[in-house]
Amino acid sequence: MTAPRVGIIGIGQSPFTRRRDDASYPDLVREAVIGAMRQADLDFDAIDGTVYSLSPDAMVGIGNAETLGVDAVGGRNKPFLRINTGGATGISSVAAAYYHVASGACDVVLTAGADKVGECGDSQTVLNKIWDPTYERQLPHGTITMLAMSGIRYQHKYGMTEEDMARVVVKNRKHAALNPNAHLRTEVTVDDVMASRMISWPIKLMDCCPQSSGGGAMVLASEKFIKQNKLDVVWITGVGHCTETYYQGDRMGTGQTADHADAYALGKACWRSYKMAGITDPQKQIDVAELYAPFSNTEFHSIEAAGLAHVGQSVPMVNEGRFSIGGEIPVNPSGGTLCTNAIAVTAMIRVAEVALQVWGKAGGHQVKGAKRGIATGNGGDHQFFGTVVVEA
Amino acid sequence: MGLNRKTAVIGTAIAAPPPDDPRSLEELLYDVTQAALIDAGMSIEAIDGIVVGSNDQFDGRAISVMMASGSVGGVDRDILSTPSAGEHAFVMATLRIASGLYETHLVVSWSPTEASSMAETQRLGADPYFHRKLPLDELAGAALQANSIASATPGVHDLATRIAELNLNNGSHAYPAAAAQTAEAGALPWPLRDGMVSAPATGAVALVIASENYVAAKGLTNIAWVNGMGWATESGYLGDRDLNQAEALEAARDRAYADAGITNPLETLDVVELTDASPYQQLLVSEVLGLSARADWESDVATGIFTKHSALAVNPSGGVASFNPVFCTGLIRIAEAANQVRGTAGAHQVKGAKNALAHAASGFAMMYQSVLILGDQPKGAAA
Repeated sequence: MTAPRVGIIGIGQSPFTRRRDDASYPDLVREAVIGAMRQADLDFDAIDGTVYSLSPDAMVGIGNAETLGVDAVGGRNKPFLRINTGGATGISSVAAAYYHVASGACDVVLTAGADKVGECGDSQTVLNKIWDPTYERQLPHGTITMLAMSGIRYQHKYGMTEEDMARVVVKNRKHAALNPNAHLRTEVTVDDVMASRMISWPIKLMDCCPQSSGGGAMVLASEKFIKQNKLDVVWITGVGHCTETYYQGDRMGTGQTADHADAYALGKACWRSYKMAGITDPQKQIDVAELYAPFSNTEFHSIEAAGLAHVGQSVPMVNEGRFSIGGEIPVNPSGGTLCTNAIAVTAMIRVAEVALQVWGKAGGHQVKGAKRGIATGNGGDHQFFGTVVVEA
Repeated sequence: MGLNRKTAVIGTAIAAPPPDDPRSLEELLYDVTQAALIDAGMSIEAIDGIVVGSNDQFDGRAISVMMASGSVGGVDRDILSTPSAGEHAFVMATLRIASGLYETHLVVSWSPTEASSMAETQRLGADPYFHRKLPLDELAGAALQANSIASATPGVHDLATRIAELNLNNGSHAYPAAAAQTAEAGALPWPLRDGMVSAPATGAVALVIASENYVAAKGLTNIAWVNGMGWATESGYLGDRDLNQAEALEAARDRAYADAGITNPLETLDVVELTDASPYQQLLVSEVLGLSARADWESDVATGIFTKHSALAVNPSGGVASFNPVFCTGLIRIAEAANQVRGTAGAHQVKGAKNALAHAASGFAMMYQSVLILGDQPKGAAA
């Protein structure tokens, strides 16, 4: 059987920043929900259910913190559940909302969440707790050191330099400067990036995403509801997920199940959504991409996993401007995860930004003529990958 | 709204390891997954997608699905996690199959007891400004709810005591080792008493579910059809709720009964597995599900409506009162109900059971409510 079409009819997001002392955690959720509901022009009676987007509880310091968001999403006495796939949570939540509609269970579904990463103390202390307490937690491991090792491996295999990484930062900061919701909006140069302090070789401070606070929300609806109510819409035409191994050691050495330089499970997830959307040649059929890349080096293997460049060949293409606004396939025209990372909703914002692009509503960072795009999300220890294709 | 196509439970496994079980959590999850697959007569290769339900605080890990993904066969596969409740993993998996994009799913949930204090992990769920200083764990939530029910219903304390005895009697057959530990629940908040609640236990549960197309193609017969499914939430703040009511359960019930075409549950249902974190909750749930009106509680208890031998068998497994792996008790109710319909419940099988209801509740004072209707024949929406 063919899955019914599901549309996006509302999007809301906070202006992301480090701290929001003016807003509690539920306030941030509500802020985004109001934005999405306004765009959808619906009242809460029209919402059949909610998928709540929240990654590790420890990031907001409240166990099962989704319970405090129930009223912020108008969820009382309605279908409600929470999704958590780490950094991929936002895109997994969009996918879960998609299934709520595609299954026939709901006509209109809200997915929403928020994070206060900038106020959690130290996100790397929290994220160290994702690893096995006996073998890997004590290294001490963090998501930066994890992806620094991926960067070293990518350098070794494909010849990427630290200056190449810096050029990704320059590109994305230039894009973010055009996006009023981005957290880091100041343009930088390659020299600025190279001069920033080393965090975990080869990743320097400016190669890292920020710790952001803010919320995100989207309203999805069935084709029947959209047509009955003559709503403005863009369509989700592809959804995919795939998972890599948990243990870092399984990605290294002769017995590896996956090469840590690459993102093979992300590639599988992309091709699952491409197949569903009928895409056979993404380099020709994708107009815009929002790829989850929290560190500059990871944008290269993300571009390759998405099929926008052959494996190991994305570096010169980034340098030549192919993936900049004005290039052939702009990647992260919003500035991407590198400029904004409120973890619980970061991957949802990837979908939202692609939707805004193909809708023609992206404002200052609009990609001219974009009609079809792909969004990705990564979670766990580069373990869970979600992808969504959105079309006008 | 009914779902676009039917789903059936085709395999289950429930793990109730003894306290001295030497297996790691990873090994326990691998074993329970393999047992469910064997019960379904298939290998992991035939699984399209996986949804798990786990709790970071109980597991002592951030993003607790990460550790489990290998054990449950998630590597190279599509896996989602629903940390709100173990039973939500079943809801999510059923929706994915009904979407037409998946034919099979594995659903797994677990609840370890390695945390130094379950009560402290649960207290982290209270908002940090107003409620965290209160000794508010799930038992306290159940006790507050019991008081609320008791204030509106004179004599309910005696009924609760008798229901607890019935559950423990059932549990002594289904989970004898776990039921024997009930008396070790420790100090209890009033009005809960010894024998009414079970100490948290380590447990895990796995189910394999499949689309009606898969069932037909494979010619499967020993299955339990998901004929109705409803799920809803209460507000997150206890102070905003009337704990003598269960409005979210009403919403979940209405949806599930409408899906399954149930107008008289006492006539339709043969078995009910409900989440009885306390016997007071069992009474409230029985009322909302239309199984026992509040005015009839005393006579229904006296005439044995809540025993496993009555026309409607309630908690033949002994319920949560007998075996309490806190985070996955809801999903265990679904597995138990499916086992009854499939005739695979073992020592506590209810003879001739064809239609079963599973009620799953999670969170403080049953915040999350889910109702599943399972049957040996496809009925209701999309049947």
